[in-house]
Amino acid sequence: MKTILYSCPYVPAEWIAAHALRPSRIVPRLGGEAHAGAARWNGSGLCLLVRAWLGEAARRREESGLAAIVLSTTCDQMRRAAELVERVADVPVFLMNIPSTWQTVAAQNLYGEELKRLGRFLVTLGGQRPSAETLARVMLEFDEARAALRAARGRLSPKDFARALAEFQAAGSPDWRPGGERLKCEPPSLMEPLPQANSVDCSPGRDDSPSAQDFSPGKSTVWPASPVGTTELNTGHHPIPLALVGEALLEQQMEIFDLIEQAGGRIDLDASAMGERTLPAPLDRRALKDDPLAALAEAYFGSIPDAMRRPNSALYQWLKINMAERGIRGIVFRRSLWCDLWNAEAQRMKEWALAPLLALDLSDEERPNGSTVSRIGSFLEMLA
Amino acid sequence: MIDAPRQITLEEWDERRAALTAAGLREPPYGGPLGRHAREAGDARLFKLRFDNSTAALRLWNFLLTEEARLHAARAAGRKIVGTMKDLGTVPVMAYALPGLTAFYPDGAWWTPCVMELSDRLFAIADSLGVDDSFCPVRAMLGAFVNQAHFPIPDLLTCSVGATCDDFSAIAQRVEGLGHPILWWEMPHRRAPDPGEAAVKLPGGFVAPREQVDFVRGELERIKTALEALAGQKLDQRRLAAGIDAANQVRAALAELRLLCFTAERAPLPALELLVAEMLAIHFCSDRDEALAVLTQLLAEVYARLDVEQGYGDARAVRVYWVNPVADLRLMNLLEECGGRLCGTEYLFCHALDRIPTDLEPMEALARMALADPMAGPASDRARRVIRDLRRFRAEALVVARIPGASHCASEGQLIREAVRAELGLPVVEIEVPPLSDPFLPSLKTRLEALVETARERRGKNADCGMRNAEFNSCSCSSS
Repeated sequence: MKTILYSCPYVPAEWIAAHALRPSRIVPRLGGEAHAGAARWNGSGLCLLVRAWLGEAARRREESGLAAIVLSTTCDQMRRAAELVERVADVPVFLMNIPSTWQTVAAQNLYGEELKRLGRFLVTLGGQRPSAETLARVMLEFDEARAALRAARGRLSPKDFARALAEFQAAGSPDWRPGGERLKCEPPSLMEPLPQANSVDCSPGRDDSPSAQDFSPGKSTVWPASPVGTTELNTGHHPIPLALVGEALLEQQMEIFDLIEQAGGRIDLDASAMGERTLPAPLDRRALKDDPLAALAEAYFGSIPDAMRRPNSALYQWLKINMAERGIRGIVFRRSLWCDLWNAEAQRMKEWALAPLLALDLSDEERPNGSTVSRIGSFLEMLA
Repeated sequence: MIDAPRQITLEEWDERRAALTAAGLREPPYGGPLGRHAREAGDARLFKLRFDNSTAALRLWNFLLTEEARLHAARAAGRKIVGTMKDLGTVPVMAYALPGLTAFYPDGAWWTPCVMELSDRLFAIADSLGVDDSFCPVRAMLGAFVNQAHFPIPDLLTCSVGATCDDFSAIAQRVEGLGHPILWWEMPHRRAPDPGEAAVKLPGGFVAPREQVDFVRGELERIKTALEALAGQKLDQRRLAAGIDAANQVRAALAELRLLCFTAERAPLPALELLVAEMLAIHFCSDRDEALAVLTQLLAEVYARLDVEQGYGDARAVRVYWVNPVADLRLMNLLEECGGRLCGTEYLFCHALDRIPTDLEPMEALARMALADPMAGPASDRARRVIRDLRRFRAEALVVARIPGASHCASEGQLIREAVRAELGLPVVEIEVPPLSDPFLPSLKTRLEALVETARERRGKNADCGMRNAEFNSCSCSSS
């Protein structure tokens, strides 16, 4: 199956999958910048994500299954990156217009029209235009898988949960499970009430022990019901619950989770760009039956909070609710140079949050540097 | 008999003005010695600039430097103030079509740190709010909203978002977070129409899908409703059409001024005054009628100089096309000091210079104009327009001025440079210009001089192969 590569949370995986193509949402990896088409942009003021996309496109030039790259207009650098990536990639690049405004019917309609335009593009790649029934079925499958993922949060370590989210989105299949295990879920009926995120139970077996490979849902995830982090195991103290907010962590930055745990904390709310914040809302089944594409648009455009939206008040509302629910005591704010939309929020969030905030400037170094390690340690020492 | 064009210092201008006043010079109410802006208002950068010596230029500068006072006077007179952020040339046309409204660009505060040589402390305030120098100088606007020492806080704030720069979008969100409500409106990324899709040609030559024009029109309707509520009057078609006509008069005057200056044998106006004149088009410097009067007087001065074949430099000056406005006005003087002259500009708002169509329903015309914003589309669109103008004005070299921290400058300059080199083979330089460039002036000067020398050398090669009078860019021996 041909693959469509993208990183924007507002691009619905199920819309691509319903066209019989494989959606793969990734955080692009640095490392392909040596390619001539990408290297000339080093040091130009491009943000980390755009440079990583150039590297990713260069690295995948020979990849046979890749059909296209979908970028979006969620920030100016990514909007402009489409022209650059097009020059490096061997496949077509589609730029999807994601409105910054969201409170008007016109903005919602614009998003819906962009989904249709994306659909037409996918057909030109060999995709199959889905019937309403096909789309609804695929949507339900993804919805179910995401519900299982959400439910697993409390049963996985924060790092494993982050990895699970990333792997699920990269795999682009509702059948994906950690370790390749496939859950035997019956496709839900359109007439059934929507399962709540934390109440789905379709696991092959239930196991209360915390494990990275244990992905079975069904446990209550009301914090702090379940997981035991390494800090608790090692010290007997309850780790300090933290929220991770901001840009996506690159693969080599996942070590941040370990560093935080070693310092006595734990990421209990992943509000980074690849975290649970960017999962679409559970589907409205009644709307799904009437008009699946509209329901899809609502689940994504109508629910995912982000710094880029204008106004971005929904981001703060989402954080407020989830931080309170999980007893968050501090915010780790991940940012990098030239990401204006997140950088401008750091100080504002610091003033807004009732919890202390640590702004971590992470760039493209291979591993978190000594300064980062020290700052995390000091932050948690202060919170202890 | 007119005085020979000459660039003079602030002190020289004050002496000259005193003499002219004694000889009967009459000025508008905002007139006066230019030096007062530096000595009394803290506009210290003026001491380091060189100004055109015409009374038209004196009026232009006084008009520009009294905008804040004009806004406060408008507020005191009971007029409603509209802060139109980011759209560069669209909402002000609508606002000025309604009685009782005065529109301005809070974005214009980006020049305040330069003009006041940082004594305004606007950057320091922005720093304290977490908006540091990784953002473009428009962050000064945030400081101005906080200290309220510059423009009055508007009665209505609008801001275009979507296909705009991140710096501005992020800073505007901070402004709203400080308690200043904003009416956000969406500018979609302008894209090429798909095959078979209904398309519309925009002013300036870009093409966009019909549905995008319709969308922008809908957004402008929301703005119109808000403006009507603020003014307490309807903005009907007749009023809007009249507003468009008035805006077109300003644009026509500016278009004539640009054409004359860019194509004359010798430059009748310096680059600095031309830059300031262009800025009047986007929001009329808070007084539409006076903006037209200022431009009209500048035009008269230019015609008078052309009549007697007077101008700056000589015919050997290298014809330079300039992309992006500079954060430090001093750079425009530097161009001439290096042997160049301005022959074409694209200061991010070429759509605000194009004539607004009058054979369309007014809102449709405004929507098309708004969507023609060069920043709303891909850099390749903008490069095409630059190339077209380079040919039109027979420019010999290109300067891309990089705005520090600006999200669009990370890639756009290079794409434009590559396109120009590939198509025209012209020498090109990209320079980053901070709000106070003094420490960098030696290196900036060296780079501009190198550009000018390269262009002259190329000119010589073209002449050697018999191309002196031919289209410069078709010479096979040209080099970049």
